[in-house]
Amino acid sequence: MILFYVLAILLIGSAIFTVTQKSPVYSIVGLLANFLTLAALYFTLDAEFLGVVQIVVYSGAILMLFVFVIALLSSGIGPFSEGPNRLPRVAGPAALTTFVAFGFLAFAVLHAPLALPPAHASVSTVGPVGTANVFGSVGDFGVALFTVQLLPFEVTAFILMVAVIGVVLLAGDAAPQRTRGAHERRAKSADREPIVKAGR
Amino acid sequence: MISLLVVLWLVPLGGALAAWAFGPQLGRAAGWLASALAFVSFACAVVLFPQASNATGVGQTLVTWIPGYTFGLRLDALSLLWTLVITGVGGLIHVYSIGYMWTDRAAARFFAYLNFFLFAMLTLVLSDNIVGLLIGWGLVGLASYFLIGFWFERPAAVAASRKAFVINVFGDTGIMFAVFALYAATGSISYADIFARAGTLPVGVLVAVCIGLFIGAAAKSAQVPLHTWLPDAMEGPTPVSALIHAATMVTAGVYLIARFAPLYNISPTAQTIVSTVGGITMVTGAILGIAQWDIKRILAYSTMSQIGYMIMGVGVGAYQAGVLHFFTHAFFKAQLFLGAGIVIHALGDEQDVRKMGGLARRMPFAFWAMLLGTLAIIGFPFFSGSYSKDAVIYGALEAGHPLLYAAGVLTAGITAFYMFRMIFVVFFGPDRTEVPDELLAIPPPARAAHAEAHAASHAPAWLMNAPVALLMIPTVAAGWLSIGGNASPWYRYFGTMFGTSENVAGPSLPIPEFASQLIVYAVVTVGVVIAYRRYGAPAAQSGAIERLRAEALGMPRALRRAFFVDDIIAAAIVRPARALGSAIVEIVDPKVIDAGVRDVAWLAGALGLVARALQNGLVRSYALTIVFGAACFLAYFAVLGAGR
Amino acid sequence: MPLDLANYVALSAVMFFIGVAGVVIRRNPLIVLMSIELMFNAANLALVAFSRAWVNNAGHIFVFLVVTVAAAEAAIGLAIVVAVFRRAKNVDLDEVAGMHG
Repeated sequence: MILFYVLAILLIGSAIFTVTQKSPVYSIVGLLANFLTLAALYFTLDAEFLGVVQIVVYSGAILMLFVFVIALLSSGIGPFSEGPNRLPRVAGPAALTTFVAFGFLAFAVLHAPLALPPAHASVSTVGPVGTANVFGSVGDFGVALFTVQLLPFEVTAFILMVAVIGVVLLAGDAAPQRTRGAHERRAKSADREPIVKAGR
Repeated sequence: MISLLVVLWLVPLGGALAAWAFGPQLGRAAGWLASALAFVSFACAVVLFPQASNATGVGQTLVTWIPGYTFGLRLDALSLLWTLVITGVGGLIHVYSIGYMWTDRAAARFFAYLNFFLFAMLTLVLSDNIVGLLIGWGLVGLASYFLIGFWFERPAAVAASRKAFVINVFGDTGIMFAVFALYAATGSISYADIFARAGTLPVGVLVAVCIGLFIGAAAKSAQVPLHTWLPDAMEGPTPVSALIHAATMVTAGVYLIARFAPLYNISPTAQTIVSTVGGITMVTGAILGIAQWDIKRILAYSTMSQIGYMIMGVGVGAYQAGVLHFFTHAFFKAQLFLGAGIVIHALGDEQDVRKMGGLARRMPFAFWAMLLGTLAIIGFPFFSGSYSKDAVIYGALEAGHPLLYAAGVLTAGITAFYMFRMIFVVFFGPDRTEVPDELLAIPPPARAAHAEAHAASHAPAWLMNAPVALLMIPTVAAGWLSIGGNASPWYRYFGTMFGTSENVAGPSLPIPEFASQLIVYAVVTVGVVIAYRRYGAPAAQSGAIERLRAEALGMPRALRRAFFVDDIIAAAIVRPARALGSAIVEIVDPKVIDAGVRDVAWLAGALGLVARALQNGLVRSYALTIVFGAACFLAYFAVLGAGR
Repeated sequence: MPLDLANYVALSAVMFFIGVAGVVIRRNPLIVLMSIELMFNAANLALVAFSRAWVNNAGHIFVFLVVTVAAAEAAIGLAIVVAVFRRAKNVDLDEVAGMHG
């Protein structure tokens, strides 16, 4: 119980830290803390495999992606420069709207019957961490992924392929830089073939 | 097999449509076509005479819509009489118009309107139901509007036609409500049903209906105070004045009251109102006729006065007498108007009697025609008018109205005076056609109204003279049908159609009929003698110019302004109506209606401004909008519960 | 035992709306993308909690899917950011308002 509350505070704190920092680099650090805390939470919920996936994929790959982009875009060590604020005084209404939405969600959650399990039966049993094929273990997850839930697996593959293609299209092959001393010299006008005789 | 009655009714409509549609192609032939069709209707009426000349007559149902709502035509004794007059006198006037409108380029339109008027009037009298009556009533008013304003380039004519129409519409509301009330109270629109159930109507409804009908009749028949349109209606061509404003349309009121005799007979209050108004009109018209200088206006006021006689006659319950006066009046008034038209035409559209004089030598035919008509209208013995007028006057006495009797006798004397004034001034004395206007005290604007001179007409003279000549016969003889009292052809023709009035209080003075007639003749003679001494005697004629000028300048203001009735109406009704119209145009239109439309446009613009603010291209703003939408969704599901 | 499910759902909700606030208020595109990642993770947390409560690993599979989608989305989003802001003066979302109406 205490563990839960500690992790919860860490989670929320790191989230707020991420969102409120001026420099993206600090935000990245906050995000890292958030992901790690979330992985810990997953472990407390008997989702071992997912916890590891969280660390490896999220903090290992996605965060690195963010870091590289920051490196690519930053012109210095300081915070990114920002232009004039085109939408002033929006923080208040935005916060209010967010808070109101949250309020409704909270109200709904508090009045919802959360304890009713769905109709279909569970597929595995809960057991101590480390045993094979208990709920949340790699074996259990693998069996489900490749038999019952094959479709999400295939869809996942498809999504990843789409992502790769998209990234290559978007960020590769940018307009080539004009370099000094180009390989192809500009053709002199005298060398050009006259396509149209200018009626002489 | 189409019924002859329907042919009678529809033929003038066909003529109107043909003349209207093919006017340019027909040219003068339009007049011949229209006249021929009028006589075709007349012939149909004559053919149907044996069957129709009784209380039930000949009927034809046209449309049965729902029970209690059937449209049809009925030619019985009353409507047959009116039909014969409308188509017969109307046909003669059509022929006369061919000559009168010989040089007018819009003659085809004139004949289209004339035939349309015949159709409208026939609809009015031939309907066997109150709705058809109402339709005919309105159409007749429309035809009058067309015909009075026929020369629409003249502002005076346009104003006169508008005035006539507006006053008629005022009367139309009265008759409309009466018709609505009748249908609501009896559940049927046909005369037969209404008269059968008349006894079951509550007294208040009955009186209201009779008064409503009379309001319509008063407007149409130019009774006081709705009479002001009739003198102004003389702006129309003279054949129009003869047909509509003398012989037929203005008598529609008389027809109405005669037709609804079963209702009036059981409603003494309404009858009193009718006869009183008729009496007042009778006297007023005669007094005003003394003060007129325009020959057509003299005749117009005399028409008003004579219709007062008719209304008074049917108002006291003497229906046969009142209708007889309509019959004779149609002939001699048409005669007078057509004769006056000949005079006007020959003098190049001159209508002021001060500029006439001594025309008996120049135009003997017109003189004799108008003299015969005048003798008839004053009630000269053995002429048609005398029989009918005496019957009306004595009818008032018989029904127990000594005051109306005295008024009728007095009016007969005044009528004699002003009609012979006209005859003497126009046809006797020195020829004044070339005398300058100032010497005769004719104000300049009056001149300009008649400034458009008709080009000299090359029409064959018989076109205008033959109808006048033909009318001489009934002018003299039409009254002879009523010789013999209750056994005469006239009284037997109607039979018991009109019933007896409850309002008959019995003779109040024990004067036998012939004695009453002698009293009337005596008064008439007095009137003629006074007119002779003022206008006709050689002594009067020698200083005619000075006398006429003195009379024109010395006319009392009340007479000159026709008892101020026009002015009162203008101040009490016209000016407030105009003010209301101005208020609406100046205030309601720009501030309410235009402002409303403008505000709708402004609203669209404002909404656009708001929408534009939302579409600013900023990612943050769009994200906020999405969150807002999500908040709304959450609110909905949180409050109302999801999963339903 | 983690079957105080309401706690986990509440925690997930709070984290989610912190992410929402970040998306709406911040102007740096990188921070915005990070906030979106926060939102994904909040959803994942809720999924895992429910999965544990009902002892059904379909939830885990779905989390797997969500992680994949989040990765793909982050990749493509960052590629777009790079493409747009490579030669821009300011790295500011307000500068890319070309879609205004």
